[in-house]
Amino acid sequence: MCPLLKNNSGIELPRLRLRLKQRKPTFIFVSVIKALFLRELATRISVGRTGLFWTFFEPFFQIFVFILMRALMQQYGGGQTSFNYVVFMASGFIPFNMFRAILSSSAGAFQANKGLFSYKQVKPIDTIIARALVEMFLSVIIIMMFLAIGIFLNIDNVFPDNTPMVFLGYVWLWIFSVSLGLLVAVGNTFFISVGKMVSISTFGLLFFSAVFYPLVSLPPTAQDVLLYNPLTHFMEMIHGFYLQALDDRFVNYRYMLLWTIVPLFMGLWLYRMLERRIVSE
Amino acid sequence: MIELKNVTKYFRTNNSKKYILRNVNMVLPDVNIGILGRNGMGKSTLMRMLGKIEFPNEGTIISKQSFSWPLGLSGGFVGNMTGRQNVKFVCNLYGKSREETRAVIAYVQEFSELEEYFDMPVKTYSSGMKGRLGFGLSLSFDFDYMLIDETLSVGDARFRTKAKTHLKKKIENCHVILVSHDMKTLREMCQAGLLVHEGELHYFDDIEEGIKRYNEINQEGR
Repeated sequence: MCPLLKNNSGIELPRLRLRLKQRKPTFIFVSVIKALFLRELATRISVGRTGLFWTFFEPFFQIFVFILMRALMQQYGGGQTSFNYVVFMASGFIPFNMFRAILSSSAGAFQANKGLFSYKQVKPIDTIIARALVEMFLSVIIIMMFLAIGIFLNIDNVFPDNTPMVFLGYVWLWIFSVSLGLLVAVGNTFFISVGKMVSISTFGLLFFSAVFYPLVSLPPTAQDVLLYNPLTHFMEMIHGFYLQALDDRFVNYRYMLLWTIVPLFMGLWLYRMLERRIVSE
Repeated sequence: MIELKNVTKYFRTNNSKKYILRNVNMVLPDVNIGILGRNGMGKSTLMRMLGKIEFPNEGTIISKQSFSWPLGLSGGFVGNMTGRQNVKFVCNLYGKSREETRAVIAYVQEFSELEEYFDMPVKTYSSGMKGRLGFGLSLSFDFDYMLIDETLSVGDARFRTKAKTHLKKKIENCHVILVSHDMKTLREMCQAGLLVHEGELHYFDDIEEGIKRYNEINQEGR
């Protein structure tokens, strides 16, 4: 037993027993994730308020630009849609931004948290999960902001047509993003260029993932090509269940599942093999 | 008790392997151990391996005790968080309750003597201030083993004395693994010595013997 410690001014340290041996692995995991989550959130908020401002402003900006483009198109007789275009944009850009943010933040997760691996219970993978949870948390706040504005402006179809399926789509997309993020993070530890490639390719993905247009509006050959992109399926799924006028006719759930399970298990397998090297890298 | 079984550890250099340990088998009793060795022989690596933060290339290290994080100057603090936030973070990591966290914060604030710097980002700290924060933090947790990497030279003379007094009191109830080049500190803190030299590990029940052997090695190297 440790006695009370006294320092010069007489302040006493209460008896704190650290029962490492009694702590259950799940309890350790939860407290580590919680600590990392709060820490990531604190750094996001404190470091350069412009960063946080941009996180919340970006979707508004994107949607504004694309609505402007559509208004211009309409003037020349195009861009007529049977669904609410504003809702379509919002329900496309928010999940896409989450996907992109998870991927880019996990690329640097190991490097940025290197110092924390000297706490034995912090495993590199925890930093990825914590960062992905922060992105999801920020996404949820953005969604609530949009919903509030939508209700205030009395926009049609503010709430999803099929809420459980949209929810499933989001969660599934999150898992998909984390699995890819894990692969990227492991790759990035040993080949630095992986992170750079990801940041370039995710920007390009914006145009090839049915984020701001429905797949139905494209010619069949283009549809076939875009359907090789797993993200297209996620976007079509979320759009299809969000808006009454759209459906999920192009979505191949087995293809989505394949793209979730293969990267997840490959990432976990590579991670398990390389975990110790990542810690001491 | 820490058991090393067929432990081999090396670092890859450009075209060869630099061995820290070569197939070492050893059982270390639960005493205060000072790690000795010349520069670059792997004292810190050995300590980190004992604390299970680094892993051997071959073999295993078995122990049931809890180990502190290695107390060194470059502790695991987050630069853009304040001292207080960092302390809170570590408390969260160890799943402390709110009251316990509050007590730890109060203690660390008092002990580290950081004054208003306690609420400033850690990146504005000097290395001595960082060391004081880390030292106070680790004193407020209970481990079976404290891992210390030359931290006792933190701060000014007055703080060093205070730190030593507190640490001595602390290790009445737990053990310490200490890496230091300062023989006086080693003599004060440790009973046993562990000498790392050219891939071999030598254990000495008496730290004096270890220091003697270490000095001999230093003579040879000259």
